[in-house]
Amino acid sequence: MAKYILEGAGNINWMAIFALITFLTIFILSAIMAFRKDNPVIKRMENLPLDDDA
Amino acid sequence: MANLETFSYDNKIVRNFAYASVIFGVIGMLVGILAALQLVFPAMNLGLAETTYGRIRPLHTNAVIFAFVGNGIFTGVYYSLQRLLKTRMFSDLLSNLHFWGWQLIILSAAITLPLGLTSSHEYAELIWPIDLAIAVVWIIFGINMFGTILKRREQHLYVAIWFYIATWITVTVLHVFNNIQIPVSLGHGVYAFAGVQDALIQWWYGHNAVAFFLTTPYLGLMYYFMPKAANRPVYSYKLSIIHFWALIFIYIWAGPHHLLYTSLPDWAQSLGTVFSIMLIAPSWGGMLNGLLTLRGVWDKVRTDPILKFFVVAVTAYGMATLEGPLLSVKSLNAITHYTDWTVGHVHIGALGWNGMLTFGMLYWLIPRIYGTKLYSVKLANTHFWIGTMGILFYAIPLYWAGWTQSLMWKQFTPDGFLQYGNFLETVTQILPMYMIRAIGGTIYFSGVIVMIYNLVKTVKSGTLIANQEASAPALVKYEAHNNEYWHKWIERKPIQMLIVSAVLVLIGGLVEIIPMMMIDNNVPKIASVKPYTPLELEGRDLYIREGCVGCHSQMVRPFRSETERYGEYSKSGEFIYDRPFLWGSKRTGPDLHRVGAKYPDSWHYNHMMDPTSMAPGSIMPPYPWLHKNDLNTGYTASKIKVLQSLGTPYPDGFADKAVDDLKAQAKKITESLSKDKITQENLENKEIVALIAYLQRLGTDIKVKAPSK
Repeated sequence: MAKYILEGAGNINWMAIFALITFLTIFILSAIMAFRKDNPVIKRMENLPLDDDA
Repeated sequence: MANLETFSYDNKIVRNFAYASVIFGVIGMLVGILAALQLVFPAMNLGLAETTYGRIRPLHTNAVIFAFVGNGIFTGVYYSLQRLLKTRMFSDLLSNLHFWGWQLIILSAAITLPLGLTSSHEYAELIWPIDLAIAVVWIIFGINMFGTILKRREQHLYVAIWFYIATWITVTVLHVFNNIQIPVSLGHGVYAFAGVQDALIQWWYGHNAVAFFLTTPYLGLMYYFMPKAANRPVYSYKLSIIHFWALIFIYIWAGPHHLLYTSLPDWAQSLGTVFSIMLIAPSWGGMLNGLLTLRGVWDKVRTDPILKFFVVAVTAYGMATLEGPLLSVKSLNAITHYTDWTVGHVHIGALGWNGMLTFGMLYWLIPRIYGTKLYSVKLANTHFWIGTMGILFYAIPLYWAGWTQSLMWKQFTPDGFLQYGNFLETVTQILPMYMIRAIGGTIYFSGVIVMIYNLVKTVKSGTLIANQEASAPALVKYEAHNNEYWHKWIERKPIQMLIVSAVLVLIGGLVEIIPMMMIDNNVPKIASVKPYTPLELEGRDLYIREGCVGCHSQMVRPFRSETERYGEYSKSGEFIYDRPFLWGSKRTGPDLHRVGAKYPDSWHYNHMMDPTSMAPGSIMPPYPWLHKNDLNTGYTASKIKVLQSLGTPYPDGFADKAVDDLKAQAKKITESLSKDKITQENLENKEIVALIAYLQRLGTDIKVKAPSK
């Protein structure tokens, strides 16, 4: 079945383009959201390695 | 404030992994030096099959990757995971099973690889029973890690832990898919995939073994130990979020860049190139994030050897991750592929990134778990400079050698002939570089000896704090509130992290691999390509046993310089019966895909007995044991049956006649040798005859045969 679908598609370049667009969308969205907010949580997170006992 | 709970960190398991890393590091590097010296002095194989280059090269790579770096990963993970999550490991029993299981796997690798028991997939050479053991131990590690995460006292998962989670899930997937085999015997399995499909799976694995075993766990260690050593938080935690997601998504796509200009379909090659270039962004984001963590404390780098090690490690990571994408550009790859440039490139990663980060981590960690101070900062500084010099003396000669040799391969005379038609000329030209490389490796190794002395003295001055007391508030159930930081839902939930990571890394693998498996057009069939005869099949397995693929490719690229030297370029349809594929990744000797029928049988007989008799100055070692050992035909029929079950079109009932067929072909080769005055008692039963049969078959399927008179 999967083979039939892939062959029926004729050209599978769309898969690569789909993956690229998915990635760019997620990447850009996460970048925008990560850099837009400044939150005390970030401060707490980045200090986690310095808080342990050793 | 919630109730303060007291507990203890398990430092003993950290100590055990650290010791194992150092001990196997010494062994792996020594084997590397031996292999490097053998390229200049072939006699240094000691005349033994078990210590010959083709067998010890995979021993070196496996020892360094899985024993030295592997144990280094577990050292850092077991140390940092407990502290970041403010809890002891989930189960001491699982920790110990993980430790001893991993060391037993390494020990079995150290025994089987010199014995020639190999599955030939690069960096996955171990035979199927050991593959199963790896899967079991890896799952034990996973249960222990996730168990620890689930019983944590810290709500948030620090970015280092994300890298550990992504490492675990991706290595699991890679290991399973790259080792799907049907067992024939305890030491031998037949791969489910053949030829170009096998090549794609292998390099999807091979590339991502670099990505998810040598890179992502070490990035986790960088994000933990660099802030510790610099005593300041990572430069940008937000950047680390982007670094993580972008890196794990993109890395998985880049595997096909190991197969540029091969018979892999163009669309897959292009994907490999594009995503490799894209990798520069997250890789350098990570490198800059590491280096900028030292903002304001660069003065400490002058005096603190640990920071020095980290700076060189992260810089080497940056250099290697810029170089890798550049080498994935087709025009540059056409020059560097199959040359020593690649070997230099991977050693910038191994010696620089993995090695120096491990050393810095050990110098930081050992005094702490022994409750003492480092014995000598001066010696650690000395080690740093020796190690750095070693890297330079290792890598620069290989860059030089790779470039020189490639240009010699491609050089034509004004009349249009190859200027260096004899491959050997291009090898002898770079032998001085090989010698300097061996010296560079030895310099690096001597630095490790200095470190061991320093650490032994440190250990002796303290006592292991096996169970380090600690206290932390109990975990309070988290209540989400409005406008909370968007990424928080993942940071708090390891299972979500696992699933999202798995989905992201699988996208790339699936898009590249499924079409290759399912669309027949990707591997055009060639009517004249027939399955190997039983004798050729046995010869092929000897070729695999001796590790010939470590020095000889079987892939003539479509360049005039290669078709002039070797013959017609390789077609994907020629490899449909190759399980595993044997395209190789390095040409220390010439490509062999068209070697079939190029020389008489007697040439191969003499050449394998003493390569310099046929090619004076050759650095190939002799293989006299092939002339002494009787060929084992005990599994020939089983191999044919397994191949038939995978679709190789042998006639029905052929397995029962396979040994007779084998003997008949061996007799013909013996007669041909006899005509050239080569006689030997019982020659038709010797391994050399099978190897000759295989070599003479190579690439002949599509050769136009002269009409018989």
